[in-house]
Amino acid sequence: MRPILLSGHERALTQVKYNSDGDIIFSVSKDHVVCAWFSHNGERLGTYHGHQGALWTVDVDPTSTLLATGGADNTMRLWEVKTGKLLKTWDFATSIKRVEFSPDGRQLLGVTEKRSGHLSTIVIYEIEPDVDAEQTNEQSLRIVCDESKATVAGFSYLSKFIIAGHEDGTVSQYDAKTGELLLNITVHEDDMQVTDLQWSPDRTYFITASKDKTAKLISTNDLEVLKSYSTDTPLNSAAITPVKDYVILGGGQAAMDVTTTSARQGKFEARFYHKIFMEEIGRVRGHFGPLNYVAVHPKGTGYCSGGEDGYVRVHHFDKPYFDFMYEVEREQANL
Amino acid sequence: MSRVAGRTDWAEEEDEDSIQLPQQQIIKNKDGTETIITWSIREDGKKVKTTRRIKKTVVKQVVNPRVAERKQWAKFGNEKGKPAGPQTDTTSIAENIAFRPMANWKASAEDKSEAEKKKTAMKDAKIKCRICSGDHWTTKCPFKDTMAPEGEPSAAEMDNEAQEQPGALGQGGSSYVPPHLRRGGAGAGEKMGGKYERDDLATLRVTNVSEFAEEQDLRDMFSRFGHVTRVFLAKDRETGRAKGFAFVSYADRSDAAKACEKMDGYGFGHLILRVEFAKKST
Repeated sequence: MRPILLSGHERALTQVKYNSDGDIIFSVSKDHVVCAWFSHNGERLGTYHGHQGALWTVDVDPTSTLLATGGADNTMRLWEVKTGKLLKTWDFATSIKRVEFSPDGRQLLGVTEKRSGHLSTIVIYEIEPDVDAEQTNEQSLRIVCDESKATVAGFSYLSKFIIAGHEDGTVSQYDAKTGELLLNITVHEDDMQVTDLQWSPDRTYFITASKDKTAKLISTNDLEVLKSYSTDTPLNSAAITPVKDYVILGGGQAAMDVTTTSARQGKFEARFYHKIFMEEIGRVRGHFGPLNYVAVHPKGTGYCSGGEDGYVRVHHFDKPYFDFMYEVEREQANL
Repeated sequence: MSRVAGRTDWAEEEDEDSIQLPQQQIIKNKDGTETIITWSIREDGKKVKTTRRIKKTVVKQVVNPRVAERKQWAKFGNEKGKPAGPQTDTTSIAENIAFRPMANWKASAEDKSEAEKKKTAMKDAKIKCRICSGDHWTTKCPFKDTMAPEGEPSAAEMDNEAQEQPGALGQGGSSYVPPHLRRGGAGAGEKMGGKYERDDLATLRVTNVSEFAEEQDLRDMFSRFGHVTRVFLAKDRETGRAKGFAFVSYADRSDAAKACEKMDGYGFGHLILRVEFAKKST
């Protein structure tokens, strides 16, 4: 496969996301700009200007009309996808580490950073999925994480739960209506930050990546660890691929250590593991910095990765990817 | 390229040059293809004409109407007003990556790295064959049966064994006894690596080979006369260049004889090859 190299950002990428049809990729980086790209040829559709600080996160609603971003300028913003127009700005006391729309696109979740005097919170806004509508200033729910700050969070299936990953390696389950903490389970090693949380297509399970060099597949209902994938490098991101039962893990040593190690030792590769057998099946190299985020095409035809090196690499899978099967899988398929 | 005097702005200078170039020409051919002729100026100032012949094929694809609609969206932000299609400043195609998932990937990858390690370890060691000066042990030399070592055919460092036969020592001042004279001179000494006994009758020695020659070049040239079983081109370890001589073995002696006759005096590169039958080492 020939990756498409997107070089529209001047600084490290922080998150990349496909929209629900997989035709557009949104990327945010520390250079304050959001970019939208067509995934099939890498053409840039446009840029969204307005943020005053590094951007940490981006998400698009299921209809690809609204885009939410959050960053270090302590704002969460809502944009019109089509024109790049800024629709709404919510101000906070601290920076926004993660935004995510609910599966129906009517709620927007934001995770705020912990800083002196401010605890980390998960806030939820009701969203009018209309470009012209006035968006509310009122938070419909506010969850304060007093134990350990939340780093990632998302809505489960039917917006029933909110699942959050924390700095201390735990994952917690909140009721999405009341905000009550239902479960809190240590899945990763103590004090090893959960760096990413991505959902399976039906949101009944999810994958978390952590600095403890592992990724875990966890069920939404009881937070049971279903599978564990261990690597030799701190992980920044993990994604589940539809169609084929794989997971893609991205990482590499911390940005501050990058200049002292060569690309060969840096482990700046996307690692493919078999979801069920938990065995590594291959790697894709290319970045010359750690991978900060990997996102999979919702139809499972490709993936893209954003790296500390400032590039987004868009990959379209070719035949060997789809043909690969374990012996047992092949037997099963032939029955 | 004429440099406009008094102008320092290189960007404008470039513009002036491109104006002088002929317009791009597109010719529609009868068979449905198009010929595009473009002109450009290379870095060294030479005008270059590029002719490309392209064939356009329309591939129809059914896509989601939402996706199709989004493709028509006007560009905005930094991309505002830019033409359709990927822009070269933001989008490029990276080199091809072969991605082939496989079971037990880790084990196979580790094997590979181990083999690599061994290779580099070998590289670092100073090994030099006394026969052909290649980077292998003399005993592993493919020509140890056909060639005598370079220079003096002695094994000065191999005298450990000699001390075991005190009776043979001390004759005429030198303590060294060649292996074939040991044990009362009986036996001509064992041959090392006997299983590599080669038919040296069909091996040619090629000298005066160009230092830019490759083994494959020689193989191509010599396989015209018969089945070549082996080509060895002596190379310098540091520079990787040929040292000027090579050995070519044939499966059949008559082929070798033919090749010897034909290739002796053949011009290869800028030199004239000298081909002869390799002499058997004594």
